Formats: sequence, structure tokens, C-alpha cells
Amino acid sequence: MTDDLAVATSTDSAPRHLAPGDVGLVSPRDFVHAAPFTFKSGQTISGFTLRYETYGRPNATRDNAVLICHALSGDHHCAGWHSPNDKKPGWWNNLIGPGKAVDTNRFFVVCANVLGGCQGSTGPSSINPDTGRPYGIAFPFVTIRDMVRSQKMLLDHLGVTELHGVIGGSMGGMQALLFAIEYPHFTRRVLAMATTGRESAQAIAFNEVGRQAIMQDPAWNHGDYPREGGPRVGLAIARMMAHITYVSDASMDRKFGRKKKETAAGDAYTFDMQFEVESYLRHQGQSFINRFDANSYLYITRALDQFDLAQAYGSLEAAFAPVEADTLVVGFTSDWLFPPEQNRALALALLRAGRRASYAELSTDLGHDSFLLESEQLYTLVRGFLERDQLYTFDYAI
Amino acid sequence: MPLVAKRTVDMEIIGDWVEPSTRVLDLGCGDGALLDYLVQQKKISAVGVDLDFNKITACVRRGLAAYQGDLTQFLRAVPDRHFDRVICSRTVHELANPTEVINEALRVGRTLTVGFVNHGFWKNRVHALLHGRKIRNEVYKTEWFDSRPANPVSVADFESFCAAKNIRIARRAHLAGDWRTPCRTLPNLLAGFALYDLAR
Repeated sequence: MTDDLAVATSTDSAPRHLAPGDVGLVSPRDFVHAAPFTFKSGQTISGFTLRYETYGRPNATRDNAVLICHALSGDHHCAGWHSPNDKKPGWWNNLIGPGKAVDTNRFFVVCANVLGGCQGSTGPSSINPDTGRPYGIAFPFVTIRDMVRSQKMLLDHLGVTELHGVIGGSMGGMQALLFAIEYPHFTRRVLAMATTGRESAQAIAFNEVGRQAIMQDPAWNHGDYPREGGPRVGLAIARMMAHITYVSDASMDRKFGRKKKETAAGDAYTFDMQFEVESYLRHQGQSFINRFDANSYLYITRALDQFDLAQAYGSLEAAFAPVEADTLVVGFTSDWLFPPEQNRALALALLRAGRRASYAELSTDLGHDSFLLESEQLYTLVRGFLERDQLYTFDYAI
Repeated sequence: MPLVAKRTVDMEIIGDWVEPSTRVLDLGCGDGALLDYLVQQKKISAVGVDLDFNKITACVRRGLAAYQGDLTQFLRAVPDRHFDRVICSRTVHELANPTEVINEALRVGRTLTVGFVNHGFWKNRVHALLHGRKIRNEVYKTEWFDSRPANPVSVADFESFCAAKNIRIARRAHLAGDWRTPCRTLPNLLAGFALYDLAR
């Protein structure tokens, strides 16, 4: 996902992290699972760490937890601020907080960096205890199921007895659906947005171009590179291209159009940067390489490509047969990466399997990243799904 | 403050017709008032379909399962006899393809309940005769230029459609112009609202 939708809002001179509805200053914690973990691939590691954040408090029965699952390039920091000087809050700060759509006055919100990630959770850039060096591509192949299983261990560790809800967009939506399939008694509500039961050939194709950009960069060196080095050119190009798939023709045109850089040379016959959009993409690529590991990018995109509910369980209906959760799938009209049809197909399969499922489709022109949109309509839907209004009583006097 | 929804006579009649603990699909469910009533009265398992995002939100807030999308496309995705009953209440005059929707509804459900405003009601006829303009009253609230395209239907139209398509009318209820009192004679002229239970 892109990182420019969650814009900090400040009120006058009050510090942003003290604004009403903001969870304020938060710090990540580490969950250490000190026993061997076997991946779906059959490969094993001796233990793992998940970095996570929580907002709000668990209730007495510990059944008010809402798990937030992040997308490909997201992390555990989904709300609040790490320091008053942060440029931006957590990536879903507009949705999560006291009195917000995911109300931290009611819910105990948990968000973890996925297994295979690079923001503090165990992944290919972590040190392999057997060699004392980073795993690199010796790290086991990660699947969405491995991400879900490891997060379930974290929730068990936190004493969560039942998930009030699990919410995610894109890859986060895949995890949310899998929670309901793998842990039906544990998962009461699933809210999956801008997601799919399996990627189309086009989505796999984009991921493959990203991986090739990384792997064809000589600095990738078969995944063996120092922490501060690595295939920075390849990773930046992968990000530049992926970023285009997260937005839309209309939103890019509105933001940049054919605007030229002020510094652009008067001469058009040059390959120097000329258009605003070029400068923007280069910036996206550069800021990404400072926070993301190239090998993690390979692993997580591979996990996305391999995810196929219909193939794994025989059919989508068979996959959803055990689900007990109330499910809400939300598609976005301008999402051409995981388009509305793929979201609709999930809700229809859930209904055919006899499950309680809803489908809503929001008209936006922001593309795949629309799930991060600041939209009162979306907030009302999310809040309504999590909180459900009190029962209507019927006036029988006709 | 308790949330209060108004029960209407057509809701009451449909409530009488619906068997308890059955699977019910509402085509054009709006904000889910009818389904909510049926869930509370008859413990049905409910699914609604509507085109509008805010209507779906209203259903979700009531704890109902609701699908945003086109009725025909939704019905095509549902297996035969998936529902015990399909309801098409106050929407049939807005369908672009009533024959297909009704056929599909009778495929996915054992019974189809249709409720509609009788366009053959005598006041409508008088209005048309006297004014020669689009009818405007409590039911038809908007001017022509503020109205969606509609395909008004009368009791006689509907019954001849059923006969032509070999659709069995299992039950019918006609309400007078007040939409409350039962109407027992000349329904095409005297009924304001009509309800039908259909089967193959």
C-alpha cells in the first residue's frame, strides 16, 4: 500500500498525538515464541518474534479484541504516534482510536508485523541462530496461513479468548478470511476489504516484475547482502511499479496531471526528471528502501501469489464451510488490483456456503488503496459492523 | 432511546405467510426493516440485496446479512432452492427485467412473495382521466422530471402475467386504498396494494 493517504491532522497548536480521537503515544512490544515453528512448507525455525502494538484495554472476559492485519508493505504501527515529532501517525490512524470507527474505548486492538516481515518480526533479515548471519533466502517460505497461525499464538499469549473481530485490507483481508476458516470458534467477525480469494494473473505478473527488479540487481547477491546494503535500485523500482497498481489513472491524473517539475530543464529532449509524477515515484522508491527489506518483499509477494482458497480447500464454498463469523466484504469501484468482482465472489461464496455474509461496494477513484480512505461512509459501515445497533422495536399499532 | 420502526400491514401479512426458522431472501431490501421484523418474529435467517451502499450499511447496523449489487446478477450466483422464500416487496415496478427476476427468484426459492402498489386503483384512473398527467399523490410523490423510470403494474397485469408464465398463485391479499382494510371485491379497481405468494 502507499503511505501518503494517512495524513496527520492537527488542531491549532495542540500536539497532534493529543488530539481527541487519537490513541496518542504508543510503543511496540515483542512477542517471543521460544519453541520451534513449522511452516506450511514443512521447513522449521527454532522460534520467532512478532513485533506488535495494542490500543485500548482487554475487558474482564478478554473477548473484546479486534485484530488488525496489515498489507504487503504495512506493519504493526497502525495507530498513534511513536514520538511527538513523528511526521505521520500509524497507517490506519484515521480508522482506529477513542470514539473512532474502531473504537479503542470499547475494543482491545492488536496489530502485529507479519512473520516474514522486516519491521521487527522474524523474517529473512533476522539473524539465523544456526549461522549467526541473516537468514536471507534460507528463510522458510512463508504463507498467509503461517502469518495467521503465528498471530493466533500471539493472541493466545495475550490471553484473548475470542476475537470480537479481525479486520484487514488487501493481504490483511486474506489473513482475516483465513482466521475465520482456521479458527471458526475463535473468530466472531471478519471485515475484509479490497481483497481476493486468489490473485489474478495480472496481480501475480506485477509481483513478478517487482521480484525480478530485485533479483536482477547485482547487489541482491542471491539474497546475501549486508543490512544497510542490498539491491536498493531493484527494490526502489519494484516499489515504484507496485505503487502505480495501488492508485488509479484518475487519482494520479488529479494529483499530477502533466505538471512539470520546477527544476525541469527547458529542454524537453533529455532523460532528466521532468514530470511531477516521475519525481513522486522516485521519492516513493527512495523512502521505501530505507524501511523495507528486499528479501521480505520477495517472500511476502510470493505468499500473496500462492494464496488460493479455492485450490487449498477444493472450492471457495468448501473453504468457507466451517466459518462461524459474521463476514463483511468491502470492494472499491476503482480497485483494479483486487477488483470489486473478486471481492463480490468472496461474499457470494460465503452466502452459497450458508454463512452470514455481507458485501458493500464504495464508489471511489483512488484505486486499491481506497481502503485507507478518509470516508464517513466507510467509518459508519465499519462501526455498524463492529458495534451493531440496539434492536429495533416494532410499533405494532398499525 | 429505543429505536422504533413502524410496522405496516404488508409487513404483517408477509410475517403471517413466512414459516418460522426458514431462509429468506429480500430483493430490494432497503434499510432492512422487513427482514429485521421477520428475524425478530419468525427467527428467519435473512439475506437482503440492494443497490445502495447506505442501505447496506443500515442492514449491517441491524445485524443483517446484505449484499450490494444487481438483483439479476445476484440471483444468477445462487443455486436452485437455496432459499425457502424470496420476497420482492415494493420493488417489482422498478425492475428492468421483471420476467427474468421472477423466474430466477422462483428457481432459487420455493416460494416468491411479491407486494406492489396497484396502479389500476380507481383514483389513479380518475387522475389520469382528469389531468392527463403523471399521477401525484402520497404514493407517487415526485414530478415526472424528478422520478426514476418505473414500470407500474396493476392487479390485472400481474395476474395475467402469472397465467401466461404458468406461475401458480398460492395466496393473494388485497388491501383497499388505505393499505390497511382488506379489499374483497374488484381488486383491480378497488385495491391500493396487492400481495401474492407464487410457486412453480
